[in-house]
Amino acid sequence: MRRKERSTSRFAPATFQGLASNMWPVVTILDGTATPPRGGEWRAAPRPHFDWWVAKHLSARPCLARAPPPRCVPQADWPASWRERLVLTQDQPRGAGSKVEILDAKTREKLCFLDKVEPHATIAEIKNLFTKTHPQWYPARQSLRLDPKGKSLKDEDVLQKLPVGTTATLYFRDLGAQISWVTVFLTEYAGPLFIYLLFYFRVPFIYGHKYDFTSSRHTVVHLACICHSFHYVKRLLETLFVHRFSHGTMPLRNIFKNCTYYWGFAAWMAYYINHPLYTPPTYGAQQVKLALAIFVICQLGNFSIHMALRDLRPAGSKTRKIPYPTKNPFTWLFLLVSCPNYTYEVGSWIGFAIMTQCLPVALFSLVGFTQMTIWAKGKHRSYLKEFRDYPPLRMPIIPFLL
Amino acid sequence: MAAAAATAATKGNGGGGARAGAGEGGGARKKKGPGPLATAYLVIYNVVMTAGWLVIAVGLVRAYLAKGSYHSLYYSIEKPLKFFQTGALLEILHCAVGIVPSSVVLTSFQVMSRVFLIWAVTHSVKEVQSEDSVLLFVIAWTITEIIRYSFYTFSLLNHLPYLIKWARYTLFIVLYPMGVSGELLTIYAALPFVRQAGLYSISLPNKYNFSFDYYAFLILIMISYIPIFPQLYFHMIHQRRKVLSHTEEHKKFE
Repeated sequence: MRRKERSTSRFAPATFQGLASNMWPVVTILDGTATPPRGGEWRAAPRPHFDWWVAKHLSARPCLARAPPPRCVPQADWPASWRERLVLTQDQPRGAGSKVEILDAKTREKLCFLDKVEPHATIAEIKNLFTKTHPQWYPARQSLRLDPKGKSLKDEDVLQKLPVGTTATLYFRDLGAQISWVTVFLTEYAGPLFIYLLFYFRVPFIYGHKYDFTSSRHTVVHLACICHSFHYVKRLLETLFVHRFSHGTMPLRNIFKNCTYYWGFAAWMAYYINHPLYTPPTYGAQQVKLALAIFVICQLGNFSIHMALRDLRPAGSKTRKIPYPTKNPFTWLFLLVSCPNYTYEVGSWIGFAIMTQCLPVALFSLVGFTQMTIWAKGKHRSYLKEFRDYPPLRMPIIPFLL
Repeated sequence: MAAAAATAATKGNGGGGARAGAGEGGGARKKKGPGPLATAYLVIYNVVMTAGWLVIAVGLVRAYLAKGSYHSLYYSIEKPLKFFQTGALLEILHCAVGIVPSSVVLTSFQVMSRVFLIWAVTHSVKEVQSEDSVLLFVIAWTITEIIRYSFYTFSLLNHLPYLIKWARYTLFIVLYPMGVSGELLTIYAALPFVRQAGLYSISLPNKYNFSFDYYAFLILIMISYIPIFPQLYFHMIHQRRKVLSHTEEHKKFE
C-alpha cells in the first residue's frame, strides 16, 4: 500500500503518518497555543472511511486493538508555537526577577508596570508596590485578579505559583473606601448600648416632660435593661478579645447600613419597653423567669460557640476547619447545626421578646433571624464545598429544619 | 412613583423572550427564556392584563362622555381597577418562580406601592375618592399599563412593533410625573381624615406594647418619594437612551 503522507491540516493537529505501524494518529495535547491553520476554525475530524477501515482490519488483526506505546515526537517536529514556549521558559531561570503589569479591569488601561519583582513575592507585596505609584488606592482597597471578570487573588498567593507567563498581567478593581471590621462592629454595638440607656433613664424630650428621669415601677423593665446592656457589652468584648476575623476590611457604606439597622431597632424597642404606659407580661413573674432562663442559656451558648470557633484558628491565621463539639455542653449543638452561634443568638432574642412581651422586639428577632439564616446557609454551603467529610446530619441554623 | 417603578424596574418582566428574541440590547447575551408552557402562560397573563386596563380606559372615557365632566370618574371604574391592579401581585410570583428575569425585591416594591395606594389609601379613605388627583394617577397608570403589558406580550411573541417600544420608553417622561403628582396629592388629601378617624392606628397602652400611627406613616411615605422618584426617573431616561439608540443603529444597518 502506498504511504499516504496526509497532513490533516483541516482538523485538529493529529498528523496521520501513514498506514504501517504508525496508523494510529499521533495525539498532541492542545494547550491553546497552537493556532488553527489558514485562520480557519478547529473542527472535530470526521473520518468515517478511516473508522470503517480500522474496524474492518481490527476484526481481522486483533493485535491492532492494542494501542501502541506513546511516541515522543522529536523537538524538531514540534509545532512552532510549542518551540517558542520552550525557548521562553528555558531563557528565564527561576529566581530572576519577574515582571508584573497591572491593568484596569474595566478600561484595560495600563496602570502600573513593576520590573524585577521577586518570583516568591506574594500578592500582598505586589499590592504594597502598587500603592507606591497610586497612593489613593491603599492595599485594602485593591482587588487584583488574573481575569477581569474572575475571582480576586488572595493576599497569601505567591506570584510564582500563579498560572502566568514571564510578565504577569493582573487586573485591578477598586473596591471603594474600606473600613475595618473591628471599627464597624464596635460602632454598631456601642450605639444600642448607649441608646437603650437614654430611653431607660427617660432622658428629656422622649416621653412627656412629667416623666423625665423617672424610673419604671416594673421589675421586668429593669431586668430587660440589664439583659440588653449585658448582651451588647458581651458583643463589644468579644469583638475586642475573642473574634478572629478572616477579612480585615469591608466597604465603607456598610457602616451606615449596619448602624442604621442596629441603632434604629434599639431605639424602637427601647422606646416601648421603657415607656411610662408599658404593660408587663400577661403571665407575670412565671413568664419573666422562663424567658430569662432562655436568654441566659442562649447567651452562654453563644459565648461558648464563639470561644470554640476562636480556638479553631490560631492567632493571625486565616485557616478554616470544621468545628466540632468540645467538652462544653453548649458546643454539642455543633452536632446538629453548622452555625450554632446564630441559633443561640435567635434564641436569646426570642427569650428577650417573651420576657418583655413587646411586638417590636419580636419583629427585630424575626428580621435578625432572616438575615442570620441567609448567612448560615451561605456558611453551610461553603463548608460543604470545602470539606468532603462534612458531617451530613448538620443543618445550617435550626436542627433538622432549616 | 408607583407609576414609573412599573416601567423602570420590570424591563424583563415579559419573559426572556424580551431579551433574546427581540434583538434589542445587542443580543450578545443569549438568555434562555422561559419554557414554552411558561411563555404561553405569560402571554395569556399579559393579554388579560392589557385587556383589563383597556376596559378601565374605555370605562373612563364612557363615564366622561356620560357625565359630561371629569369629576368623580373613579366610581365608574372602581371594580376593574381594583381587580387588575391587585392582579399585578402575580408578577411577584413570576419573578420568584423564575419565569421572569426581574428581581423579586424590585418588583414587589413596585407592585406593593401600587396596591398600597389602591387599597390602603383610596379604598380605605372614602372621602378621597371624589378627588381629582385620583383621576390623575388612574389615567397615568392606565396608559402606562396598557403600553407595558402589550410591550411584554409582543416581546414574548418576538414581534415587537417599534411604536410600542418607543411609547414605552418615551411616554413615561410625562406620565411618571403625572402619576406621582396624583399619588402625592391623594395621600395628602387623605391625611386629615386619617387623623380624625384614627385609621389603622394603635396606641399605648396595650398588651403587646406596640403603637402605630398611620398618619405619621403616610407622611413618611410621602417624604420617601423625594429620594426614590429621581432615581427611578433617571434610570428610565438612561434606559431610554440605551434602548432607543440601539434600535436606531440596528435600523441603520438594515
